[in-house]
Amino acid sequence: MAGTNINGVVRSTSVTGEFYDFACKVMLIGDSGVGKTCLLVRFKDGAFLSGSFISTVGIDFRNKIVDVEGTKVKLQIWDTAGQERFRSVTHAYYRDAHALLLLFDVTNRHSFENIRAWVSEIHEYAKDDVVVMLLGNKCDMTSERCVKREEAEKLAKDNKIPYMETSAKSGLNVDLAFVAVAKDLQMKKTRRPNDPKFSVLEYVDQQKQVPSKCC
Amino acid sequence: MMSALNSNDLQHKSEIDPYGFKHGDDFDYATYDEFMSQYLGVLARRASKWNQLLDGISRLKKSRKVKRYVRKGIPNELRGQVWMCVSKADKLMEENPGLYQRLLSEPLDPDAQSEIDTDLHRTFPENIYFGNDSPNGKRSSLRNVLTAFAQHNPDIGYCQGMNYVVAMMLIVVKDEEKSFFLFEQLTKRILVGYYSRDLKGLKVDQEVLGELVRLKEPAVSTHMEKEQVPWSIPTTKWFVCLYLDVLPIETTLRVWDCLFYEGSKIIFRVALSLVLQNAEAILNSASFPQIVEAFKHFASPQKHIDCHNFMQKVFQDSQPLKMATITKLREEFNKKI
Repeated sequence: MAGTNINGVVRSTSVTGEFYDFACKVMLIGDSGVGKTCLLVRFKDGAFLSGSFISTVGIDFRNKIVDVEGTKVKLQIWDTAGQERFRSVTHAYYRDAHALLLLFDVTNRHSFENIRAWVSEIHEYAKDDVVVMLLGNKCDMTSERCVKREEAEKLAKDNKIPYMETSAKSGLNVDLAFVAVAKDLQMKKTRRPNDPKFSVLEYVDQQKQVPSKCC
Repeated sequence: MMSALNSNDLQHKSEIDPYGFKHGDDFDYATYDEFMSQYLGVLARRASKWNQLLDGISRLKKSRKVKRYVRKGIPNELRGQVWMCVSKADKLMEENPGLYQRLLSEPLDPDAQSEIDTDLHRTFPENIYFGNDSPNGKRSSLRNVLTAFAQHNPDIGYCQGMNYVVAMMLIVVKDEEKSFFLFEQLTKRILVGYYSRDLKGLKVDQEVLGELVRLKEPAVSTHMEKEQVPWSIPTTKWFVCLYLDVLPIETTLRVWDCLFYEGSKIIFRVALSLVLQNAEAILNSASFPQIVEAFKHFASPQKHIDCHNFMQKVFQDSQPLKMATITKLREEFNKKI
């Protein structure tokens, strides 16, 4: 069954029977243990990850439909194992991804230092117009932090990608990361020639919350 | 002798299963209770048969009868001992006295150690033996076995997924050193190359499965190809975790019973059975994400609670499956990958 939305876009129906206008693939990547699955579960279910099987083996995915100014965007979010040996299984999917959320853990220096290697993987396997966002996760753990916000911002700037700090535990900036991706797609699909260009970088800079130092 | 599950574990609505796992919110008590009411009889019968079989013998020898017994399930209190024996891990342990202790006394490469440590608190945190505040915790045992293995196999090191498999072995076998040798035997004799740095053994076997599906149910294989779903997407977790978190725990352990006796063929038989039984669901899924969703739906720890029936179907569905066929296919794909 298909209808049209307020912008005149023909709608599709997902497996669960929900309408959506566009679908896009988002991939969560980054070192093992930085919180990729936690970020996804926070976004999908609004909860902190629980259960018995916490570390991800192979590749998994979950859907969520987000509303961007009346347009329903279905995000198909692929969650990947962080360990190096599983990358050969996962990087085959980079090329289909509309967006890559690249995570490190602000309390794990090594995961930050590996970001450069991740960026070169992205250049090698993803398509040129892929949206990349750098996320410094676990920013609620202020006393254990060992990556300064300024250095992460600089790294992001050097690579011309947006940066924000997230907490899958408190939820800070989690929705924003995914919504920004959805908005970028919505703008790419519906923008008329004379409309101003959408910059995901500017959008994130305007919308992001900076974690408070005191918590 | 008591049956595999003692009466305390069977209290109605018990929140903890016999292996120390807390049932999730979505645990289907009704289906479980219904199944257990008839499975208890099976367990009692099997326990008595096994006790007769083992009565007065010092070492279990492989035979048609033992194979049949294993397929019908090893009673829980004999499971560790029988796994050690039929996999020949006990022989390996006898031949290498002091090896495990020596490996633990040597410092491990810090990168491998850090990879192991990253996963320790993420392994079964809701299991009573592995949680943060478990008084008789097995977390340090898990660290020891993974560390000793990485030390003994520097070319393999630590591979994610091993944490779950070894943790489950520790729950069943209840001994660090034995679990170490059982895992050694698993990776050296049964599932060669599954956990290696290039995951070659795993990748080859995923292709072999694809080919076996093509032979048994060509429509499914054509559909997967058309929608460009590689077998590695649904089956990486199946093969790496040996069906943990893919099937319910009891069903997984029934698979492991046969795996230690019969070898890697069982991995394929279970995968084939899951695919063949759910061919329609796969064929009715119109796109890549829908196919992946279908796999997640039918291969889920909420399904296949009736482990006894599940195993019977496994052996019916994939009949006949010759090891020679698998060996030949492995050789072919080994050259291609």
